[in-house]
Amino acid sequence: MAARIAARCCWLVLLALAWVLPVQGIERIRLSIGDIRAPGLSVQGVELQFAAGSKGPELRIAHLALGERAWRGLHLSCPEADAAFPEIRCRRGEIRVGAKRLPLRIDFRFDPLTSAFDAALRLSSGSTVDIRHDGGNLVEVVLTRFEIGELSGDLAGFAAQVSPALAAELAQYAAKGTVDARLAWRQAGDAGPHEKLQLQARLSGGSFSSPDGLQAAEGLALSLDLTARALAAGWDWQGRLAWEGGEAYLHPLYLRSGPVLQAEGRLNDDELVLRMATLKLEGVDQFALTARIAREPPSLQDLTLSLAGGDLAILGPHWITPALVPALADRLRFAGHVGAGAEIRDGQLLSLDLVFDGAGVSLAGVDEGGEVRGRGLAFGPLSGHLPWSATAPTRASLQVQGGYWEALSLGAFDVDALLDGGQIAFGQIRIPLLDGALVLDGLALEHGAEGWRGQGGVVVEPLSMALLTEALGWPSMSGILSASMPGMRVSTGEISLDGALVVSVFDGYLQATGLRVSEPFGVASNLRADIEARHLDLAQLTDTFSFGSISGYVDADVKGLELAGWRPVAFDLRLASSPGSYRRRISQRAVQNIGALGGGGAIAALQRGVLSVFDTFGYRELGFHCVLVNGICEMNGIAGRGRPDGGFPIVRGGGIPALDVIGYNRRVDWQELVDRLQRVIENNAAPELH
Amino acid sequence: MPFFRIRSLLLAGSLALAASACVTINIYFPAAAAEKAADRIIDEVWQTHENQPPQAAPAEQGAGQ
Amino acid sequence: MNARHGVPGWMRWLMAGLLGCMMAFAVQAQGNLEIDTPAISALKSSMQKRHGQLAPLYASGAIGLAADGSIALRDASAVPLAQRGSVNALVAAENADRSALYREVARANQHPEWEADVRSTFAQRWIDRAPAGWWVQRGGSWVKK
Repeated sequence: MAARIAARCCWLVLLALAWVLPVQGIERIRLSIGDIRAPGLSVQGVELQFAAGSKGPELRIAHLALGERAWRGLHLSCPEADAAFPEIRCRRGEIRVGAKRLPLRIDFRFDPLTSAFDAALRLSSGSTVDIRHDGGNLVEVVLTRFEIGELSGDLAGFAAQVSPALAAELAQYAAKGTVDARLAWRQAGDAGPHEKLQLQARLSGGSFSSPDGLQAAEGLALSLDLTARALAAGWDWQGRLAWEGGEAYLHPLYLRSGPVLQAEGRLNDDELVLRMATLKLEGVDQFALTARIAREPPSLQDLTLSLAGGDLAILGPHWITPALVPALADRLRFAGHVGAGAEIRDGQLLSLDLVFDGAGVSLAGVDEGGEVRGRGLAFGPLSGHLPWSATAPTRASLQVQGGYWEALSLGAFDVDALLDGGQIAFGQIRIPLLDGALVLDGLALEHGAEGWRGQGGVVVEPLSMALLTEALGWPSMSGILSASMPGMRVSTGEISLDGALVVSVFDGYLQATGLRVSEPFGVASNLRADIEARHLDLAQLTDTFSFGSISGYVDADVKGLELAGWRPVAFDLRLASSPGSYRRRISQRAVQNIGALGGGGAIAALQRGVLSVFDTFGYRELGFHCVLVNGICEMNGIAGRGRPDGGFPIVRGGGIPALDVIGYNRRVDWQELVDRLQRVIENNAAPELH
Repeated sequence: MPFFRIRSLLLAGSLALAASACVTINIYFPAAAAEKAADRIIDEVWQTHENQPPQAAPAEQGAGQ
Repeated sequence: MNARHGVPGWMRWLMAGLLGCMMAFAVQAQGNLEIDTPAISALKSSMQKRHGQLAPLYASGAIGLAADGSIALRDASAVPLAQRGSVNALVAAENADRSALYREVARANQHPEWEADVRSTFAQRWIDRAPAGWWVQRGGSWVKK
């Protein structure tokens, strides 16, 4: 830009001089030139004085305005000059503005016969500007080590001519850097019918920063090659811009050097058109775009882009996560390839097309402390086409070859969806899971101001508990899990499921209703449900968990169960013998284990005592009540059987021999209880050696 | 006839009054309690302990023993 | 039960309604809000852990407490360029936790519709409680406390 203004300014002055100096045999010249006006430039009262043998040529300009800036009383004088006919030479010339000397020296050579002109400005900072005019159609400007910061005022002034809005923006960005540039400007003439411009520029050590630091770059090295040709419709240009060094933060993206833009287009008073551009970018095989940018105010009007062979493993962390879900930056991972096409018309996104090829996405799990832990959720490899249009509904189709959710592997499934503006209506999605499937029926989502919300239905086609428990690493259970939850509602931070999840297990069943998942992807993720279990066979249950042996059946009700990180943190559990007539026996080991849970030493006495000769005892009923709040289990035994001494019976004896198990400690630390249970199960599972 | 009209107006008015009175009834947001709750959470997140005992206290105890 | 004698049926309904309303007026939540839920604890500990990274950013003015109960990257120039992306991720993660916290507090008290009130109460308290030197948003502009 600086190069251009310098060129423009000098060109006009030279042109003026060339017109007024077609004379030979100069002894003394004194020329007055009228006003020169051009866009962004106004020169008034130009006077050139040259006398052979005197101390040198002098140039005075009464008023020079360049953009917003103006200078009065410019005076160029040459202490070392000679007029070796027909040339006028000046060395170590000085320029004063009023009484102030500018921090630069000028050497120039001027041939009034050919109008050839050669000037070199040496700024005190060490940078130089060389301007050469061959007297014909060519003007060359060479900038060497030109500091941007030094001329930022002029730059802003020039920018104000191009676009006041841009200038206002630019003024805030403390731009710095060193420019080396060569600009050749050829007027239409013998060499060609069109005005031509050729620019090679290099910026090094460039930096800028918006006041809030959200748009900034450091250590910038850019190189630009540009050629342009003036046509009636504007400048036809083509060029290459390479980002060779440095880093930038363009909120919210952090970018590093590497990209190379190759482009051609047209520039006129209203707009900048990129007819064809290709961008070389890390992680992308091919990236092509066309664009139309309005100049005042600067705004992107139209854009079409197409991207092929995008490597999601690279594009994910650099572009997708920061732009779309920065909060999940640590946990979200991508793989595979994507192709994309997008179209913007009049500043509005018109269409977006994504094609996935072997793509994968995974979201790592997180524990309550916010640390990344566990396998989390993943889908892929997935392939398919996801088109979106602002004007018409489109149909997306993805083939997902699998995935996992924590310990559970998901089978291959297809996703078909109708996209309409901010709404997505999914067809049935059937995700194979073990020997059954998770089926999402009629899921419809809508993106609004508060995020995604929607509804649908969930069905779990029967899964065998044997496989499920094996996959989860739990003690093996037999049975079937299935669910029918027709009323699923999704809102920001919550998924609620109306309907029931039923597990037929241990000869009875277990039914979960009122399922609600809060903050599914955050640290506060928790699951709430009410569970009703009926007629669970204690013999199978105790056998499964290696807890001695109890025969009989129990019913259980768990109200307000809340799981955080799959661990229960609150519930109201009530367990009682099922009604009916069946054999009720409890083994000595089970009694001992119950005692061990209580942490008492009373059981040891029992072992040594008379009762140790019996292997099993009869019982009339079992009952247990635990309200878990804040890590404390508030315990109670069989309902309505509290004892005057504060004890509560958990097992009420009956038959021969009869045995009561009575608890006395009503407040038990839940974690302690779980640890003891774990120890009991481990001790029982281990082979016993006597 | 006019009697009935007045009566029906009265009825409508009363119902509207009752309805509007009822509409305003909900459990008010307990602003003071919420501030207290916010302060407790902020204390924990920022680890600020305004009522922290002076540093000297434990030292004195230690000296007394 | 004859409407012609005694109090007309509609009047009885009205009376009952008004009485109900008057009684309902007396219902006003009092005491403490429930904040001791596992979800809130998890959010608190996650935010507490993150605070170690955020504290120097508050102090340098890189981030500030916004009027809507979130935090905002207000002067990224206080952070080295290469780290601005991760600071932005940190801000986004904190804001995700804060939004979840406001939702969970409202939910824990069986009034999900209080979320906006909870948010604005917290917004005010974060700002009021911020130590000197931190930047807070007041009346749409950033001020240093």
